[in-house]
Amino acid sequence: MIKSVKFKNKIINTIIYSILSFMSVVWLFPVAWLIMQSFRKEPGAFTSYIIPKTWTLDNYIKLFTETKLFNFPRWFLNTLLVAIAACIITTILVLLTAYAFSRLRFKMRKPMMNVILILGMFPGFMSMIAIYHILKAVGLTQSLLALILVYSGGAAMGYYIAKGFFDTVPYSIDEAAMLDGANKNQVFWKIILPMSKPVVIYTILTSFLAPWMDFIFVSVIMKDNYQNYTVALGLYQMLSRENIQAYFTQFCAGAVLIAVPITILFINMQKYYVSGVTSGGAKG
Amino acid sequence: MKKILVLLLVSLMVLSGCTKKEDTATTATTETTDTVSLKVWASQDDQEMTQKMVDAFIAANPDKKWDITLSVVGEPDAKTKYLEDPSAAADVFAFANDQLIDLVKVGALYKVTRNAEDIQARNSAGSVSAATRDGQLYAYPMTADNGYFMYYDSSVFTAEDVASLDTMLAKADAANKKVFMDISNGWYIASFFLGNGGTLSINPDGTQFTDFNNEKGVEAGEAIKAFTASNAFLTGDDSVLVAGITDGSIAAGVSGTWNAKAIQEALGDRYAAAKLPTYTTPSGQVQLSSFAGYKLIGVNSQTKFPVEAMDLADFLTNEANQTLRFETKGYGPSNTNAAASPAVAGNVALSALIAQSQYATLQNDVLGTYWGPAEAFGATLEAKDYSKTVKELLDEMVAQISAAQ
Amino acid sequence: MKKIFNIIIKTISSFFVSIINGFKNYFSNFIKGDSITKISYFVMGFGCVMRKQVVKGIIFLTVQLSYLFYMFTKGFYYLQMLTTLGVKEQGEVWDATAQIYRIQLGDNSMLLLLFGVTTVFISVAFFLVYFGSVKNAYQNEINIKNNIKIKSFKEELDDLLDSKYHITILSIPTILTFAFTIMPLIFMILMAFTNFDGNHQPPGKLFTWVGLTNFSSVLVSNPLWSKTFMRLLVWTIIWAFFATSLNYVLGILLAIMINKQGIKLKKMWRTIFVTTIAVPQFVSLLLMSKLLADNGALNNLLINFNFIKTFIPFLSDADVAKVVVIIVNLWVGIPYSMLISSGILMNIPKDLYEASKIDGANSVKQFFSITLPYMLHVTTPYLITQFVGNINNFNVIYLLTGGGPKSLNLYQAGETDLLVTWLYKLTTEAQNYALASTIGIIIFVILATFSLISYNMTSAVKEEDTFS
Repeated sequence: MIKSVKFKNKIINTIIYSILSFMSVVWLFPVAWLIMQSFRKEPGAFTSYIIPKTWTLDNYIKLFTETKLFNFPRWFLNTLLVAIAACIITTILVLLTAYAFSRLRFKMRKPMMNVILILGMFPGFMSMIAIYHILKAVGLTQSLLALILVYSGGAAMGYYIAKGFFDTVPYSIDEAAMLDGANKNQVFWKIILPMSKPVVIYTILTSFLAPWMDFIFVSVIMKDNYQNYTVALGLYQMLSRENIQAYFTQFCAGAVLIAVPITILFINMQKYYVSGVTSGGAKG
Repeated sequence: MKKILVLLLVSLMVLSGCTKKEDTATTATTETTDTVSLKVWASQDDQEMTQKMVDAFIAANPDKKWDITLSVVGEPDAKTKYLEDPSAAADVFAFANDQLIDLVKVGALYKVTRNAEDIQARNSAGSVSAATRDGQLYAYPMTADNGYFMYYDSSVFTAEDVASLDTMLAKADAANKKVFMDISNGWYIASFFLGNGGTLSINPDGTQFTDFNNEKGVEAGEAIKAFTASNAFLTGDDSVLVAGITDGSIAAGVSGTWNAKAIQEALGDRYAAAKLPTYTTPSGQVQLSSFAGYKLIGVNSQTKFPVEAMDLADFLTNEANQTLRFETKGYGPSNTNAAASPAVAGNVALSALIAQSQYATLQNDVLGTYWGPAEAFGATLEAKDYSKTVKELLDEMVAQISAAQ
Repeated sequence: MKKIFNIIIKTISSFFVSIINGFKNYFSNFIKGDSITKISYFVMGFGCVMRKQVVKGIIFLTVQLSYLFYMFTKGFYYLQMLTTLGVKEQGEVWDATAQIYRIQLGDNSMLLLLFGVTTVFISVAFFLVYFGSVKNAYQNEINIKNNIKIKSFKEELDDLLDSKYHITILSIPTILTFAFTIMPLIFMILMAFTNFDGNHQPPGKLFTWVGLTNFSSVLVSNPLWSKTFMRLLVWTIIWAFFATSLNYVLGILLAIMINKQGIKLKKMWRTIFVTTIAVPQFVSLLLMSKLLADNGALNNLLINFNFIKTFIPFLSDADVAKVVVIIVNLWVGIPYSMLISSGILMNIPKDLYEASKIDGANSVKQFFSITLPYMLHVTTPYLITQFVGNINNFNVIYLLTGGGPKSLNLYQAGETDLLVTWLYKLTTEAQNYALASTIGIIIFVILATFSLISYNMTSAVKEEDTFS
């Protein structure tokens, strides 16, 4: 009896291993292809064969040396700057908003939450035209500051997950602190925030990543100002009809260069990502 | 609540306070300052060359203080980028001639009146009429190479073979190779219809007129169907063509001069080009037509320095600079003197384009409504979806093309 | 259903009642108040300054002065222009010396609309502050009469860190939300009532109000538009359903497999899938579109290994493409749902499984009777957000197929276009902003109704208010 259970288990595990291996191949195939393309020496947008005939590091070197038209290092720094600034602002705004909706009780609370819920459903890029002209009216277009504002402007609307997390922290902790004479400001900074490491890291992680991935908002804001492009838009530019033949392999190299740090970041922060999103997203 | 509102108000105040400043800036068109600042759009590839020309322009006009900046916006995207924010667009920009009709419609371009006679005289008649709408010149012809023709591998085809599409398909199939044409693209597919006498024009009410669904149009449609059904047919975008030529799977393909360099490098000695072939209809062989394409330079109607911008546009498209364009990048000149040079005649791609140009049709009367339905018609045949007859598909296509926008 | 309807009615009616009451108080307080209060009705902050709230009073006064300054310099002009959206069209005058037709810039309808909306917002905000200040002046008067100490500026600031802390921390998010979300949204919504299309492009041409014409065109009178709209709506819903549910279920299954006892290298498996999250979507999706092209690497591979004779039209055949985009979306989405569900799976009480095992349930039955219900219970809000996100999932479709293959049955759209990518094309390719925002509004109404109903029905929301 025990032996047969063990045997059955072994079969099941073998099946699972084979499924997992198969899926891993499928999932890693495009990534591997991307990496191989980035080392391909033959020019051209794409080849009908998969493994490059000659390997080279030139695509990477060119990204950093031929910066006259495609200034990859500068774009990288732009993105880093925007990502850091947007991430700080977003994180603060999200946590404060979430705290207000989770812990404080005031008249407009429910209506505001409903309004935010509904606002999220309008396709975002439709309002980009208006945002562009609003920023232009303030004299901010085509600047990195404008981009930071765009990325953190809607931040408060993503309070949902953090609120879910705060909801799980028992209210008695707040009450105890307030009995000791702390005001709500102190409760937030000194008591709730230190307890919320997962959700703080989750918020930082997601808001830091957004500028690396987006190419639509940034193209509306930056238009023809190449110097202020982010890597995503810059790389996307390499794929336009007139550039793709010459720059496709460099595009792949650039993509790998973004993906590597993000992968490392993600793998290390995975634990927080999971506990952040599950504690919050799940319980609403 | 109050505090929120105070803050909200103050911030909006700041916001709108600045809008005023902006407004006054845009309304003052004729403002004259010491420095003339202009922005020029040119494609990525042409930045260096355009910079040289701009430097020469500044050197030739030392009486003014110039601040001319270059930005990257390619000719195909000029209209879209312009419409995103006309007042932030370049003062002087290059665009493909099919965008002229829309640009004129939205009042984007200054009329070309300074030095107009000279401009009309020094450029080819086709390029001038491509820059003209309702009898008025709106742009400066820059190149005459934005059309298409047939590239081929001379080890697969002889010069006689490429005169007929049927011969090409048969030979390519026998050699297990492909003949490439992007059929799901209104620009290329029109060559079948136009070749068989089809027309595109504008109705009095401003909608698109086309007779692509008449008897002749159906013949052309059937020929497209037969072409796409052929074993040797291959479609896709430019990258498919170049990749296929490089690895030898494509023996011939319809494209334009922008791919000349890549294809020449790939084919080496076997590199050849010719006018488009003829195709078979029940009434005999029909020569494929094409759209005659030009690149033009326009002056933004929102510019603060119209006179200077026009002088720059004029300079950028003069004979010397068109020759420079040909020498650096192989762009075909619209300037008649520059085009007459022996070097242009010796260029394989350009001479094929010139050979095709006698069968080409001007693209002036093509509205935006044409492209989508034409692409859809091509895509349906490419997918070998034969649930409707060619006539039915063409009727639907024409109905959509001529519908009001 | 009926309950939600009641809630909506109740909210709207209470909103109006409070406005009417507000006005009633406004006038009766004016009559009841003393002369200082009465002056405060015209000079904001007067009551505060006179009653020792100097700083607050000055703030009020500054607000009033700057508002008036704005309105007289620009605001009234914009409000007036909001009615017509501009009257002066771009013209030209012959300049004989320069030999050119100098362009005379006309009104820019789009900017007039935007600044008109801004002015309305500023005015509403101002009047809220104004009513607040008037109320404050009257309250001060009453407090003095009743010998209640008026709060000093310092004390009010302290309140902002405690009892009114929500005002402090929500003010900046609220402003940003107004500036970057609500105002643009109103602007876009208003566009649907204009004729802002290819023939009425600013700055060269003016556009103006046309009422509900666009809505009737989309829904009824323009058969091609309404047919396109209905077909894309159906496909959008099918897409969102499959994209959400398949990602979810398969993500759970993957998490279960990785977390199963006896499976080794858990961290490695998870890392493999997480890697794909780190590659920016526009990169991976564009690569996919190259891989899956008619003569792309995948077709070539399959032909070389003699699995197939001619290429499979992964992205060029309407029906195949629809399946392929859903499958590719699995590639994008499964790692996320795997990560999320592995966190929740560990929280499921072990004794539930033990008990069912004693009852003789196998793992398939356990999945359907324990795992899935538990997951569904906990993650309903997540699922709703995912569904809404998929309806508006621009990236996957735009980057993978561009909406293609184009079809003659659809207006300016392809077979795999979602409503959201269609409206993007309408703005960039056809410049028909009016039609695009009309569709935007319709999508928005559908989504808003759907989510309000589903959110209010989930238990998670009901249980939320356990303390107050």
